[in-house]
Order: sequence, then C-alpha cells, then structure tokens
Amino acid sequence: MYAKLVFRNVKRSAKDYLIYIVTMTICVTLFYAFLSISSSYYNPDIGSEYDFTLLRDGMKAAICMITLLLLFLMRFVNHYMLRQKQKEFAIQSIMGMEQKTIGRIFFAETLIMGMISILIGIFFGIFCSQFITAMLLTAYEKSYEISWTLFPDTVLWTVAFFVFSFLVVGIFNTRTIQKTKIITMLSAEKENEPEPGNSRWISVAVIFFELITVWAFITGIQKVWFYYDARFAFPVRLMYWRNILFPLLTLLWSVFCLIKKGERNMLITGLLICSVLNAFATASVAALANKYYLPLGAGMLNQYLLFLLIDLLFFIGALIYLASSFIVTWKEKLPEHRYHGEALFFYGQITSKLNTTSKTMTLICITLVLAIFLFIAAPILTGWASGYLGVRSVYDVQVYSRYNNVYEEKNLPQDNYEIITDFFAAHEIDTAHDCTFNLYLPKKADFHNRMKYDFPVVAISLSDYNAIRKMLGYEQISLGENEFITQWKTIATEEERNSFIAEHTSVVTDGGTLNISEQSYSEEAMGVTLYNSYTDVLYVFPDKICEELLPVMRNRYITTTKNITYENARELERLFVAEYPEQAESGALYGVRFSTLQTNSAIANNFILQTGMIYGAVVLMVICLTVLSLQQLLDAGHYKYRFSVLRKLGVDERRVNKLILKQLRVWFGLPIIVAIMVAAVVIGYFIQTISAEVSAYIGYTTLMLQIGVTVGILVILLLCYFISTWVIFRCSVNS
Amino acid sequence: MNTILKLEHIQKYYGNGGNITKAIRDISFSVEAGEFLGIMGASGSGKTTLLNCISTIDTVSAGHIFLEGTDVTEINPKSLARFRRENLGFVFQDFNLLDTLTISENIALALAINHIPAGRVEPRILEIAEKLNISDILNKYPYQVSGGQKQRCACARAIINNPKLLLADEPTGALDSHSSQMLLSTIQNINKQLKATILMVTHDVFAASYASRILFLKDGEIFMELRKGNDSRNTFFDKILNVLTIIGGGQSHVC
Repeated sequence: MYAKLVFRNVKRSAKDYLIYIVTMTICVTLFYAFLSISSSYYNPDIGSEYDFTLLRDGMKAAICMITLLLLFLMRFVNHYMLRQKQKEFAIQSIMGMEQKTIGRIFFAETLIMGMISILIGIFFGIFCSQFITAMLLTAYEKSYEISWTLFPDTVLWTVAFFVFSFLVVGIFNTRTIQKTKIITMLSAEKENEPEPGNSRWISVAVIFFELITVWAFITGIQKVWFYYDARFAFPVRLMYWRNILFPLLTLLWSVFCLIKKGERNMLITGLLICSVLNAFATASVAALANKYYLPLGAGMLNQYLLFLLIDLLFFIGALIYLASSFIVTWKEKLPEHRYHGEALFFYGQITSKLNTTSKTMTLICITLVLAIFLFIAAPILTGWASGYLGVRSVYDVQVYSRYNNVYEEKNLPQDNYEIITDFFAAHEIDTAHDCTFNLYLPKKADFHNRMKYDFPVVAISLSDYNAIRKMLGYEQISLGENEFITQWKTIATEEERNSFIAEHTSVVTDGGTLNISEQSYSEEAMGVTLYNSYTDVLYVFPDKICEELLPVMRNRYITTTKNITYENARELERLFVAEYPEQAESGALYGVRFSTLQTNSAIANNFILQTGMIYGAVVLMVICLTVLSLQQLLDAGHYKYRFSVLRKLGVDERRVNKLILKQLRVWFGLPIIVAIMVAAVVIGYFIQTISAEVSAYIGYTTLMLQIGVTVGILVILLLCYFISTWVIFRCSVNS
Repeated sequence: MNTILKLEHIQKYYGNGGNITKAIRDISFSVEAGEFLGIMGASGSGKTTLLNCISTIDTVSAGHIFLEGTDVTEINPKSLARFRRENLGFVFQDFNLLDTLTISENIALALAINHIPAGRVEPRILEIAEKLNISDILNKYPYQVSGGQKQRCACARAIINNPKLLLADEPTGALDSHSSQMLLSTIQNINKQLKATILMVTHDVFAASYASRILFLKDGEIFMELRKGNDSRNTFFDKILNVLTIIGGGQSHVC
C-alpha cells in the first residue's frame, strides 16, 4: 500500500521535484565526468613517454574533496523540498499516519528521484567526460577521437557516493519530519518571515574585524619601529604610516560610536569605509615591495595578505548587511521615487528579503568571489606553468652544475658526464646533438663573491654558444674582435635589459676589456640552467678570451633523435643521481633534467590543477546560483499572496510581470555585482603581482582571450539559472 | 438621486455540457449614489460570485453591469486593471495588507499605483488616517497592529482614491465583536460623511443592520429586499432576523 503511495506521489509531484532532479543531475554529471579520467579502465593514448598514474591518484583525491561541497547543496535542496511538502505531511498526520511512516515515504520518494537523477546524470556524464578527455589529450598535445565507454568503476563510485549521500541526508530529513509538530507543519505556508534586525552574525563579524584591526595596528607599529628608514622612497614611507593610520582610524571610529552610543548601522557604515581604506593600505604592501625591492620577508607579506583577505570579507558582509538600510534611506530621501507606481511594493519586497537573508547572501557572495577567482586563475596558473615548461625544457637531457658551495678552485665541476654516453650506447638511444661546455667567470676575483644580490654574471664561449643555438635551430651569430653580446632569460623585462646594457657597454675580464657588439642582446629561450644563480643574463665572449678565464660550471645538453621513454628516463636519472649527488662532497652541485620527466610531471600537475580548479569553480557556481534561485522560489507562497493583493489593487499583468523581473534582477544582481567587484580587485592584484610571469609565459592577449571565454561561460551559466528561476517564479506567482 | 451601479439580468454558470451549476440565475438591481447596500444570503446563495462579477474579477455568463453608464462586461480585459483601480475600492475579510510595508506605505501604494503626484501623497494619507483614527499607527507594520486596526487601514486604502463604489466582502469576518462594531461605525461614517457608495456582502446580521438597504439572495436570485427607511438599527436588526428565518425555513438557521 505504502509502495503504491510512494509511486503515485512521485508521479503526481514530478513537477515539485523538478528542481531537486535538475540539481542532482548536474551534481552527478559533473562528478561522473571528472571522475571518469581517474578510472582504471581509462587508457587514453598519450604515448610511451608519459605516465598516467600520478594524474589518476591526484584527480581522485581532488574530485572527492571538492564533491564534499555538494553535500551542502543537497541538504539545502532537501530543506526546500521539505518546506514545499509540509502541508501534505500535516494532512497525512492528522489522518493518523505516523510521522515515522511519513518520513519514510518522503525518504523513499527522494530516493527514487535521486536514482532517476543518477541515471540521467551518468548518461550526461558520458558526454561531458568527452570534453575532459579532449582537454586532457590537448594538454599532452595528442589528437583525440571520441569514444563512448562506460567505466564500471566510475559508475560504481558515483552510485556509491550519491546513494551514501542520499542516505545521510535522508536520515536527517526523517528526523526533521519526526520532530516537527503538526501545527507547525500546518501553518508552514502562513509563517511570517523572522523579524529583521536581529542578526547576530554581523555583531560577531564586527568583533572579529575589530580584533584583526588591533592586530594590524600593532603590526603596523612594529614594522615602523623595526624597519622604517627615512631614506625610503616617498610612496614606501607613506605605506608604512598608512598601515598604522588606517587601523587606528578604524578603532577610533568604533570607540567614538561606543561613547556616543550611536546606531549599529552608523558604526558598520564607518567600518565599511575603513575596510576599503585598510584593504588599500594592506594591498599596497606587496605591490610596493615588488616595485622597490623592499626586503620584506614572505611571512610579513603573507600576514598582510591575510589582513587584505579579512578586509575584503568584511567589506562584502557589511555591504550586504547595509544594502537594505541603503535602500530604505534612498526611499526615505526621495518621495518622488517612493511614490512612483509600484515602487513602494518593490522596495518592500527587496528590503524584507534582504533583512532576513543577509547572512546567506554574504556567504553566496564570498563563494561567488572564490568561484570567479578559480575560473580566472586556472588558465593563468596553467598557462604560466606550461609556458615555463616550454622555456626550461628545451633539451631532451640537460646536465647542469652549480658552484655556490665550492670554495676551492680544484673542487669546481670539470666532468664530462660519460655515464650518459654509456647509458645511451647500452639502450641504443641515438643523439642528434650533444654539447658539453664550460661557463666562465669574467674575473677570477669574483669567485668568492657569494652575495645573493650581487652574484657575478657568467660567460660562455662563442663556439659553445653557437653549438647550442644550432641544437635549438636558431641562427648562428658572430662577434668582432674584443666584442661580446648578452643572452637573456625569458622572464627578464625590457626595462631590466636596457638598464643593464646601458651600464655594461664594456666588460673588464681577465683576458682584456671587451665592448658590447652592435647587436647587443639575444633573448631566445635557451633553458634556465645556462645562467648563473640569481642572474637573468649571460655574456657571450670570443673563444680566445674564454681560454684565459676561470671555468666555474660545466654543463651538458643533449637532444635525441627519438623521445626517451618514461622508464629509461627514470632509470638514467637514478644512475646519474647515484654518481653525481645533488650536493657532492666537494661542494659542487649537480643536476639532470629530462624533458620526458619534466613534461610528464608538469602536464599531469597542470592538468590536476586546471581540472580541479575548474571543477571546483563550476561546483561553487552551481551551488551559489541554485541557492539564490531557491531562496526566491522558497517564498513563492508569500509572493503569490503579495502579488494577488497588488492585482486586486488594480495593477495589470504586464506591470506585475515587470515587477517580478525587476525583483529577480536585483536578487541575482546584488550578490553578483558585489562578487564581481571584489573578484576584480583580487584578480587585478593577483595579475599585477605576477605581471612579469604573465607577460613572459602567457602574453596579455592570450590572457585577455582566456578571461573573455571564462566570463562568457559564466554569463551563460548565470542566464540559464536566471531564466529558469524567472519562469518557475512566474508560474508559481500566477497560478 | 443618480444611479451609480445597475445590474441587468445577470447570470453566471459554471461547468459545461449537461453538468451546469447556476451560481446566479437572474439578478437585476441598481444602487444609488451614496447608498449603503448590504447583500445577505446563506453559503452558496451566490453572494461572492455576484461581488466578483461586479468587481470585474470574474466574468458574467449573460447580462450587463453598468457602473456610471459604463458597461463593465464589455471592457477589454487589458483595461480591466485600470478600470478597477480608478473606479473601485475593495475591503476583504482577510485584510489583504502587504506585510512588507508599513500601514502608511500600504495606503500610499494605492495612491502611487494611481499615479498621484508624490507631493500630494502624504497629506492625503494624513487626512484619511485622521478620519479613520489610525494616525498613531501609520509607521507600524501590519503584524504589529490589531485586526480592527488592520481592517481600518484596509478601508483607508480602499477609499483613498475616492472610488465610485466601495466593495466590502465580509469585512467583519475576521474581527471580534468589539472591533466589528468600531469598524462598522467607521464604514457608516465613510458612507455618511464622505458620501461613498458602499456595497457590502455579509452573513452577519449585526453587520447588515448598518446598511440602508439589504438584498437577500437565495439560490442565485433575489429573494427579498429590505429597506431601513426611518427604522432604528435595532428594529432593522429584528426585521433582518425575521427575513432570514423565512429564507432558512426555521429559527435554527440564525441562532
């Protein structure tokens, strides 16, 4: 009998469950699609030079972590469903059905709906996993073919995960139903919204913000006390004082409000302004440290980053908390606005909802900022990593050495690294180019100079330099008598380069003085092991001069005719490290890099990072938008009544529909605009701090294109949610 | 006196084919300007259907309704909302106030919807609040005031646009006897001092006794008409009771 009731309910209330099914399906689809690449049955053809296990384990962990967030969404949607069905439950209880049974029936209904969602979700997941495969194979630079495979272990994981979640949420629901009184269920629809103005969370937020401000104030004083110097540039001096002044201002304002016993809104408005000032002050620390090479430790920068984060979070919370008071003030000040058509009704709708949901709105807004940041940062970080890979991994094998810890000339690295030659012979690996060369100190006197900020620039002989250029397919260069040129790392800026060249038009060496050639520099990517530590530039001297200089490092670069397999590379790396430890007893430092291994780990890490961030961003976005939309639909009962009053007062359908659209626009617009504002600041700051890397490895045009595409996807997602909420809202208000 | 409202052979059927319910069989009457008309009848007699038809919320199956010469049954559906807000005022049993707005704003909304210039809104609210004795609660929200006060606010909202006709659907239905009495005095004042024409549907005899004329409906037709004339309210009250006894077929119906 009960089974019949369950099935009939499911059939009859399919429309009520629509939101539940849609949300669950999206969750399952995302979960299945992203998890499918970690399946043990998943074997895309990525070539023998790559290994897939690293990626598989990393992906599984990343996805399961992010998916825990989905539990929160499931709980919220279930809460919505419970509210919708309360009246039905009440009638069933009055008729004499036990509340335990009602709970079980509801659980069975949701479980059936959940199962349907899992089925549909897996079906869509199969399609979506194609995109992920395409993404993966593009990352490994392989062409891809569409293959329709169902991975049994992924299906099992998906079903197990969601059934488990349904069970957990279901138990909560059954308990909620059992504990609710019949009278509460009956009057659920008539229930008034809680009285506004009693939100405790903002008081907690204010206290927390004040505490952090005290901390920031003390830190500011400390920094001035220990590090301030009148010789600093004016903006730096200003920065030091600003970091005392603004927190002090914040605290003074709070004390002033406390003494005056001012209204809470006045206090929070002041703090809101202070949070903007504080954010500006703290953000300038890292920016100025970058610009003026301030010797600030990572600890201090992180501390200021924390302050900045808290300022921004408080800004979001306070702004949303005050939004309704702003609207009320606006309304009070402008009678012609207030008494214009249905404006009063509209203001009433917005302020009453904002008053009661400011906490949820703040959370949504913060989550949205996070989602937008993840969306935009993902391509920047992966672009950076893969751009860097291209720059550093230009040879199939590169052996390098460092003399940083060598204090005696006899201990300097002088080997030819024959172990590699032997290994290649044994494994029949043919080399295309092979170059073993020295890097020299222009002046022997600099050998003992180990100051980090004043490390000597090393030199290479022209013949070695040309051999490496040939290896990489670049044009040969020539030098006149007593001439030299400079070779630059990709990351060096034009400004740095110009100032260096201007200061070094001639170089005094142990072999005589050299003048800079007409073509003063070259900036093709030649790997990062060609330069001395802490320097971005290399001199190229004529061979004759180099013979008289002190060789301090010995490197060997090799390109092979065929790619070295992953196994061979691992084996050779092991052998090499055994013979040339990273830190030899002589103090010399050796290292070997295989493009196979570098590429493999970089691509795998990159891919985990990228998919993890995008998955996280999509999940957060879906959560935010679903909650936003449900917040409105949850109150459809109230709204139906309110709009019916409006109709009775003689407002026609056209205007009612306009009002609905306006209300939803504000409802979706407010958190999204605040989130975009804050996210723009965060992303701008982020890009600014890594601007050198962005221009070196990604390029601003590509970056803008990527940001454009991301924004496009976000807009489409938002429009989908907005339109569906609008349609359902109109239906429920008009029915 | 001139006629404000005139109903000619109104009929209203529900259902189709062989299963037709006649909510209103044939009703004709007219209301003079400044009149306070009560409509009484048992449940299912067609009172609310009649009110809905007059208020243009529902359509008639046959017949015509004229409000100051305009046939409301012929008005284009798109213009109905405008017609309602310009010509009619409503008072409902369950107040129909918006809980998101203060009492003053609830009244102001009716004016704003009618595009009254902003500068004239507040003086008019104060004026009407004075008359209905709700000046001291203007800045409160509906959930902070009593039922009687809510209903007086609803009355203020209904008459603030000087409607040609005030329609009241069981206005005392949700009130206790004391609040009912106060509200009915208010409605009577509105009728006498502001010269408003009122059409009130009720099945409360006490409420009906405030009207100047009562139509009794039975099975979708006018069963009887009763005029107060020069009678006192008590006498009129007794007369109404007697009519109800006849309609109901026994004393038990009115006790």
